[in-house]
Amino acid sequence: MRDRLTNAMRASHVLALIFVAGALALAVIGAATGDTFYLRLGTEALIFAGLALSVDLLLGYSGALSLGQALYFGVGAYVSALTLLKVPSFWLAMLAAGGATLVASIIGGLIANRVRGVYFALITFGLAQVVSKVVYNTRELGASDGMIGIPVIDIGFGPFSVSAGNPVGFFLIVLAIIMGLYWLTAYLLDTPFGRVLTALKANEKRVPFLGYSVWRARMFSYVLAGLIAGLSGALYPMLRGFVSPELMFFATSGNAVISVILGGVGTLIGAIYGSVLLVVLKSIIGSWTEHHLIVIGLIFMICVMFLPKGLIGFIRPRLEERLSEKTPDATPLTSVSLQPGSAKP
Amino acid sequence: MKTTGFLAAALGGLLAATALTSGALAQSTPIKIGVVTPLSGTYTPIGQQVRWGLELAAKEINAAGGIAGRQVNLIFEDEEANPSVAVQKAEKLFQVEKVDFLAGTVNSGSTLAVAQLAERNNKLAATTVSFADSITTDKCSPNMFRVNARAEQQSVALAAWLAKEKPNAKVYYLGPDYEMGRSTVAAFKSSAEKTGSATGGEVFAPLDSKDYTQYFGQIRATRPQVLYTSVAGNDTVRLLTQLQDFGLLTNLTVVGASGTVTSQNIGAIGAAAEGFATGVGYSPQIDSPENKKFVAAFRDATKADPDLYGADSYGLLFAYKAAVEKAGSTETDKVREALRGLTWQTPQGAKTIRAGDHQAMQPMYVVRVTKGKFDIIDSVASDKAIGPDACTRF
Repeated sequence: MRDRLTNAMRASHVLALIFVAGALALAVIGAATGDTFYLRLGTEALIFAGLALSVDLLLGYSGALSLGQALYFGVGAYVSALTLLKVPSFWLAMLAAGGATLVASIIGGLIANRVRGVYFALITFGLAQVVSKVVYNTRELGASDGMIGIPVIDIGFGPFSVSAGNPVGFFLIVLAIIMGLYWLTAYLLDTPFGRVLTALKANEKRVPFLGYSVWRARMFSYVLAGLIAGLSGALYPMLRGFVSPELMFFATSGNAVISVILGGVGTLIGAIYGSVLLVVLKSIIGSWTEHHLIVIGLIFMICVMFLPKGLIGFIRPRLEERLSEKTPDATPLTSVSLQPGSAKP
Repeated sequence: MKTTGFLAAALGGLLAATALTSGALAQSTPIKIGVVTPLSGTYTPIGQQVRWGLELAAKEINAAGGIAGRQVNLIFEDEEANPSVAVQKAEKLFQVEKVDFLAGTVNSGSTLAVAQLAERNNKLAATTVSFADSITTDKCSPNMFRVNARAEQQSVALAAWLAKEKPNAKVYYLGPDYEMGRSTVAAFKSSAEKTGSATGGEVFAPLDSKDYTQYFGQIRATRPQVLYTSVAGNDTVRLLTQLQDFGLLTNLTVVGASGTVTSQNIGAIGAAAEGFATGVGYSPQIDSPENKKFVAAFRDATKADPDLYGADSYGLLFAYKAAVEKAGSTETDKVREALRGLTWQTPQGAKTIRAGDHQAMQPMYVVRVTKGKFDIIDSVASDKAIGPDACTRF
């Protein structure tokens, strides 16, 4: 028997497949026309989509709004940059960035998970501000100038190797990594652990009565989100060849939250769509007028007012209906502790 | 016979004229110059000056026939003072708009990141604002030029003036406690010690300090003749007014970084700002015909006074024009060669781009607050105000 959450996730997967198809089409067109800029812009959008994905994991499933997720993105980016400056190895950089963000998010989680609600948002915001200011004032990390000179690396897969400077090749690698992270998150949310997270969002006080540890579930989702942000961040210096403390600033965290809300909170794939949409909008509108922040603010407000569940939150229920028509065994979830409304975006 | 000769000549002339126009047409695709500068956010006033300066220069160049007969077309992009945005926008200008040259980056992080991008795209770029020494020293790039004065030039000019005004003075240093504050103090200290000043002591106060009086005991104990400070904004207001309240400003010369006392806080500091001196690369008061013409044209076009960013940006386009005309092309390698060692006229006087590190050498000015306004009190020749070439990459 398939419950509503599974069905919703299946609808997300269909949308994810459409996304991958669209991205592959872009790669083909880009390769055919010899384009560099749009493919690299797309790669950047995917990297920031990883950050948005981590925000959605926290906000959409455990209900915790993180305003400082750029902290882990930045830690990943800086550790990856430092590793690449010493040893230009893709795998080593990803491993080091993953390890460092794992440690950082455990420390951050121990601090932030002592509180919830608006205090959680403030603590995560504060943590990111503190670390970004430390980096901003540390000469060894390039201080306010950031670090440049990160080499264009070759990414080896056994006998094959792709240069990070090759727009199509690197785009496809980043696409694979981000969609891999999406799939991993979706898989974990479909396990009993995912149900506990959803239960947390619905009614946190009842969860201990069902025999689950609230702290452990929150901590696990926080560390997982940190890791996703860190691994996405690790890709940034490979694309752009530099890191700067601005990557950890609130603007980065804020953009990720906006992406999630545009795409649809609690849909996972919505975060990815939202991030791509935001990067593309910013690029197009930014070239058109210097008042781009006003235009994006208006689009955001219109979206919140008329599409409160975001773009994917608007599309997905229609897709779910079609999917459940095909599979009549999908019965709505009627358990008391897991409100259907909370599972649905 | 005579008429046929005349007709033939006229026809020939007409043909020649058409040939010329078509030749000119083939050549007259505009030269595209990309400008990546903050047009929104905190640095908007700086980006505005950059934009005004470049637009004025482009207007004048285009009215006078353009660069090598080609019109100049400026394409602006907002970098939001964020290196990640700057790099993305610069890549768009290089790859999609296919600009010939790039200018405008403001914060040093953006300039360094864009320099690297310019290298990877084999294009040239220049900054008219960033003053971090690293851009033309240890992180210099063969594709980046700087036409404004860097931090070291400001401190060297100020130290040279100080050595004349107060020879062998004892200097006390008070800086804001963060990386930039500490590096500006260190830079001025090394310049001042080279010109014979003694160091009385140094102290770093947290950013946004409310009370500076806790440091006054230390300052008094060393009896300095000169106080150097690199605090900025409202911190300067509090520091200087508190110094005045405690009567410490008598017989004390206060000097500082160029951002310490600005048009934004000078009103709030009031009489305590009197006598404050700093080293700058430009002042609208520079008494030269070129500058008077520039200031008048700038006011006419924008209803505002130019500051150093506007003036340096204005000057940049004329350097590019001179280089392209000398190189006879807009190709990266040829223009780079032409820019190296180029001397050209700007409102600030003649500037020369040093070939070894792509840093412009220019005369520097020492300005002092008199009756609430900055007056030029001294100038330092360009070769005296530039430190050694510390770029090893090219």
